[in-house]
Amino acid sequence: MAGLIFSPQARGQFAAIALVRWRLFVNSLRTIRGRLELVSRGFMFMGFGTLGLGGSFAMGAGAWYFVAHDRVEMLAVLLWPVLLFWQLFPVMASAFTENVDSSNLLRFPLTFPSYFLIRIAYGSLDPATAVASLWLLGMAIGIGLASPAYLVLALPILLLFAVFNILLSQMIYTWVERWLARRRSREILGVVFLLVMISFQFVSPLVRRYGPTAAPVLSRVTAQTLPFERLLPPGLAAASLARALHGQYPLALGAFALECAYALAVLWLLNLRLRAQYLGENLSEAVARRAKPAGKQKVQLGWNIEGVPGSVSAVVEKELRYLSRSGPMLFTLVMPLVILLIFRFTPGKSDRPGGIFAHSADLAFPVGAAYALLMLTNLVYNSFGPDAAGIQFFFASPVRFREILLGKNLAAAFVLAAEVALVWLGTCLMYRPPPWDVVLATVTGVFFVLLVNLIAGNFLSVFTPKKIDFGTFGRQRASNTTAFASLGIQAAVVGLCSVALLAARAYHHIWVAAVVFVMLAAGAMVAYFLVLDRMDAIVLKRREAMITELCKA
Amino acid sequence: METAAIATAPAIATEHLTRRFGDLVAVQDVNLRVAPGQFFGFLGPNGAGKSTTIKMLTGLLAATSGRMEILGVDLGQNSVEVKRQIGVVPEGMALFGRLTGAEYLNFVGRMYGLDRVTAAKRTGELLDFMQLVDQPKTLVTDYSHGMQKKLALAAAVIHGPKILFLDEPFEGVDAIASNTLKAMLQSMIARGATIFLTSHVLEIVERLCSHVAIIHRGQLVAQGSLEELRAGVQAQAAAAALTASGAPGVPVTSPGEKLTLEEIFLRVVGGTRRADQELSWLG
Repeated sequence: MAGLIFSPQARGQFAAIALVRWRLFVNSLRTIRGRLELVSRGFMFMGFGTLGLGGSFAMGAGAWYFVAHDRVEMLAVLLWPVLLFWQLFPVMASAFTENVDSSNLLRFPLTFPSYFLIRIAYGSLDPATAVASLWLLGMAIGIGLASPAYLVLALPILLLFAVFNILLSQMIYTWVERWLARRRSREILGVVFLLVMISFQFVSPLVRRYGPTAAPVLSRVTAQTLPFERLLPPGLAAASLARALHGQYPLALGAFALECAYALAVLWLLNLRLRAQYLGENLSEAVARRAKPAGKQKVQLGWNIEGVPGSVSAVVEKELRYLSRSGPMLFTLVMPLVILLIFRFTPGKSDRPGGIFAHSADLAFPVGAAYALLMLTNLVYNSFGPDAAGIQFFFASPVRFREILLGKNLAAAFVLAAEVALVWLGTCLMYRPPPWDVVLATVTGVFFVLLVNLIAGNFLSVFTPKKIDFGTFGRQRASNTTAFASLGIQAAVVGLCSVALLAARAYHHIWVAAVVFVMLAAGAMVAYFLVLDRMDAIVLKRREAMITELCKA
Repeated sequence: METAAIATAPAIATEHLTRRFGDLVAVQDVNLRVAPGQFFGFLGPNGAGKSTTIKMLTGLLAATSGRMEILGVDLGQNSVEVKRQIGVVPEGMALFGRLTGAEYLNFVGRMYGLDRVTAAKRTGELLDFMQLVDQPKTLVTDYSHGMQKKLALAAAVIHGPKILFLDEPFEGVDAIASNTLKAMLQSMIARGATIFLTSHVLEIVERLCSHVAIIHRGQLVAQGSLEELRAGVQAQAAAAALTASGAPGVPVTSPGEKLTLEEIFLRVVGGTRRADQELSWLG
């Protein structure tokens, strides 16, 4: 096996692949967009670097404390977060994770071991692995500082734990990839993922609410499950470290061997998937043919929106149909209600019912509406992304981009209006109906922010478009440049509105905020139509870049 | 005025059409002339400038210089009016994957200004003609390649265009789907429409097209009816034989010999391989 992996031919292949990836990176810098992406990646690198180094320091301090105070088994407390972060982060923040498409490699005469190694190597080049590896390194340094002689024994255990995590994350990815190969199962799995993510949001409020009464039960459950925890990889690694420190080498070796068994089991499961891929597995999207129905197909009439040209109505219909078929987008839009629910069950400073808004139920509606605006960015900041190759149709059709963008913006406005109405209903049900002046200020504020978002969104949709698939979770999101720009705009505009609303509230004249927002919205409306009228010329100048980007395979 | 121009003008006319990508001249000084009602094949080797030309003619790409007139209307001056008169199946097919076929056609019809009832009626008819009715709830993204091609063609004709631009319509299409496409195109020609297509399948072009243009390294090297091209190539070969300095690899044709389009194409673009060309390491 080692001979096959490190044969001269295999080494040449590894070098060729590394060179290709390097050239792809260098070539991407030829465009302004590529250079902007590099800057965004720089920010990302700094963010993850801080997380990795900060976490590493904390892990090192923790490990030093446990070893120095002879509580080595408690290292499991540190190893569990490492494992959870390593496995969950790529799922939760998949926009930052590059997935390897190795199907192109299959036409080359790669041996299976080489193919396997390449998949593992490139699959490991993600932020989660880098950050978690830094954390483990921090732990190793902490252990070394507490007991230098002990470091020699700790290193292989920590290394095995790292290998186990790399294999596990790859194994999960390859199996999920298989389940995601079909559109329907993709969407079902995506919904399940999102429900799991949402359920995490409830843990903290529930623990805080029921914590005092549930403490004895929780302690009992914890005591009962602790022996099982020790049989899982983080517990085994901690046990192995503890036994080794206490000189109980057979027991340490036993725990180490069990850890190895876990790694081998994961390796076997990973091997199953990679072997199938290596043999040319084809995960087809094609659906089973249905029986041909008799007669002609009955075609429904398209939508008609009063006072709007037919072409704009058609774009609105198309946008809303796209949205209705996107599980991820629909769940994103439900999030404001979920946030209200979480706030409702989060205890405030008093025992009064109403959760975090016990003393300020009037703020629940504006907060929910502001969150709805944040969710809206997914729709408006990359509005041509889901169209992909369909963008060519827009350029070839006799409809001006002014109308196309108006249709897309109207669809986004409809969605936001429905969301704000839902948030209002949710506020009424979970708290109490918000006062009329709060409703007025919120609605006018939302309208102003929507217009600003549409102006900025239309620009960014044209200047930094990125092809995305509405049916998959997280894999392809807007470009990093768009993400950073939209974040800045949201922070500025929503911040401005929040300050105005809170100031007006402090002086008990919330209606003043509404007046301010109406004036701002009037200005934004004028700006919106001025910009919209110029979009045709702007889009025409950008058409080649847009078509190239959105029609990528 | 505009209507009068449409009635008398050539369907497609370009003057000194040029497109540069940095230092590369993809299309240079192309002067095309396609009469109304012609089934026009636009041929050329890979990278010759076919797709670039068709993209410019359909508004997907800006020209660096030159003029383009479609049905007598200047594309640069009045692109919206031109786009109303034409249908396009571009390279990437321009489909919206997360609509059903019926929704997509309905959408396209309305974007071309059809009213709701007409759009729905034509959608039903096109789905039936293209044999796509057995996929009512299937999203376009789940269609096979051939079905997507048929849908793209259906979308290109839903508004009854006077000119149809097709970029490689038969690429990756099986014989059954190809037959349906050909039937649709021939019925359009019978009704007086003009069709401008690029294709690498020269047998199909020879069978369908009445007129052909060949572009090579960005320049138009031949244009005319098949007979005119054939006569031109044969005259050229005869002249070369007379001067006894014929181009290498270009055989002289015997009188009465009918060249196929593939032979004409190869002679025009000089695509014959040197006899001494070989790969020393290959078998």
